[in-house]
This record gives sequence, structure tokens and C-alpha cells, in this order.
Amino acid sequence: MRVILPDGETRVMSSGGPLIRDLLEELGINPLEVLVARNGRIVPEEDLAGEEDEIRVIRVVHGG
Amino acid sequence: MRCSICDDAAVARSSRSRKLLCSSHFMEAFEDQVAKTLKAGRMIEDGNRIAVALSGGKDSVVLLYVLKKILAGEAVELFAITIDEGIKGYREDTIGYARRISDELEVELKMRSFRDEFGSDLDRIVVGRDEAPCTFCGVLRKSALNRAARDLGATKLATGHNLDDEAQSVMMNYLRGDIEGLLRLSPKRPLPGLVPRIKPLRHIPEKEVALYGILAGVHPEAPECPYAHSSMRFEIRRMMNGLERDHPGTKGSVLRGFEKILKSAEDRPAATPLSSCRICGEPTFRDLCRACHLLGRSR
Repeated sequence: MRVILPDGETRVMSSGGPLIRDLLEELGINPLEVLVARNGRIVPEEDLAGEEDEIRVIRVVHGG
Repeated sequence: MRCSICDDAAVARSSRSRKLLCSSHFMEAFEDQVAKTLKAGRMIEDGNRIAVALSGGKDSVVLLYVLKKILAGEAVELFAITIDEGIKGYREDTIGYARRISDELEVELKMRSFRDEFGSDLDRIVVGRDEAPCTFCGVLRKSALNRAARDLGATKLATGHNLDDEAQSVMMNYLRGDIEGLLRLSPKRPLPGLVPRIKPLRHIPEKEVALYGILAGVHPEAPECPYAHSSMRFEIRRMMNGLERDHPGTKGSVLRGFEKILKSAEDRPAATPLSSCRICGEPTFRDLCRACHLLGRSR
């Protein structure tokens, strides 16, 4: 799958688990600090992430 | 995954009801929660003139949007105050967004700045100081907001503090051993010279505030404040989010525990009475208000 990280970096990767939550864990990202769009639509992180999907990770917790 | 109410595509699982919700049911539940918080805290009464502290970041933008929606037809006035702290490369965008959103929502916006209020931008104030920039920014902004709200005839000052902010503030005061500061987070009685503050988003997690902003089409694409990483709050935020991930409900427990402490301290007299700062005249529990103390004013 294609993963777009909050800083704009794009990675092509396979996730060890079937869920978006598993992918976030692999990336070391706390799900409480991001929203995730799968193929352009925001989905719960307990939803599935397939090999053909584009996953965009949007950071929503900022400092300040 | 489908919405547990209508079978449309789900966008999130609500932290409160634990139900999967689609966009429209998520927004409806969010607005219900804000209305419930306003009612339970008796935050707004007929005839109120409410100043919304509008930084232009996601929390304050969502607050303005949702208050405008919920209070439509109510006998209250709503306007916004933006404080330009003077942070180069950061505030230009967020202040621009504050102007745009207040225009779109047809809410009057009043601007104030650190330069006007304190004679200098934050960027200059913090040079060579030991305290973290966020300490200056928080204290001075609070002072400037209160003064502006009072001068503009506001009867309430609404801020966009969410559940994460509240839990972090409680923890910061615990860790500093500052019980007076803890109790002042939520004053029960009106204090002379201080416009009563209300926090309608205080029971809603930060992530859900952001999601609501995106779904409502008002989420600002804002850069991160360049000073954010230097604050103690940054460390507490990371710690609290780790705890919440591993032990869901921790932030809510922190807030509920704090409210129990407040209740038990309700009839306790303040350690020191409120007076006026001998330099600027703003309300304070000390000889000098925190703003003047930080700025080293001592004449």
C-alpha cells in the first residue's frame, strides 16, 4: 500500500496486520494524535488497510 | 465499516458512546455534547455578550463555528477576539484564517496585539529569558484576552480548551504542586475584573475536535508553533496520549477527579484575596500580576 505520512513523505509498504491501527503501530504513531484517510475518505483506525489502498496519515494534535 | 445508526460509511468510533458513526451522526453527537456541556455548566444565559477567543487554530475555529450554529436564534451576542502574539512565520497564517472564518460566519472580529498591550512581540520578549516561551505566551495572552473582553463589554469569554488541554493543565498543576493554580483553573465564583471564562469543548478529545473541523470544512491547515516543543505541556501531552492509548478513559478520569477536588474545595476561602496589580491594575492574587512579574516590571 501507499502510505502518505504527515510530513509529506510517501512510503510503499506492507503492513504486518490487517488494520489501519496495526499500520500506525508499525510506524510508531499514536492513533490519538492522527486521523487517517483511506483512498481520500476518513475512516476509523479499526478499519482495514489493503495492499491496493492509499493511506494518508493526518496529524491533528499540534503543540502551541 | 458502517455507522451503527444509519449504515452510511463510518468516520470514527465515538469516545463517549463507543458507537461507530458516519459524518452526519458524528457531527450531530458533537453538537449535542457541546450543548449539554453549556447547559450542565450553566455557561450561557439570555442577554450574554460572548467573546470567543479566536487564535485561528483548529480548536478556536471549531468553537466559533459550533457556538454560532448552536446559539442561532438564542438571545445572546457573539463576537471574536484575536490576539497577535507576534510569532514570525507562524501567526501570519493563523491570523489570516481567523479573519477569513469570522468573515464567513459573519462574526465581528476584534484584534489586539502583544505589541500594543505589552510594547513588544513575543519573539523579542523571550530573547535571553530563562522561562519557556509558552509560559510568556500563555500568561500574556490570558491577560490581554481578559482586558480586551472586559473593555469590549463581554459578559463571558469562551475558549477552545478541549479534554486533552484540560487534563494536561490539571496534570501540570499536580506535578508542580500548585494547588492554588489548580483551583483557579475553574473558578466557581465571579471575580471582580475577570470576565468569566467558559470552555464548551472541555469534555471533547482533541482528535474529535479536529475531525469535526474537517467534516464541517473549517479545519485550518496551520503550521505548528515554532515554540511548541520547548514547553512542559508538550511532554505532558505525549505522556497523557500514551496513557490514554494503553488505558482508555484516563483523560476523562483526570478531569472527573479534578472536578471532585473542586467540589470539596468549594467553600474553602481563597488563600489570598483578589486585588489589583500595582503596575497595570489587572486583577491578581499577588502584588504584581503574573504578566507584569514575567515582564520584570517593578516600578
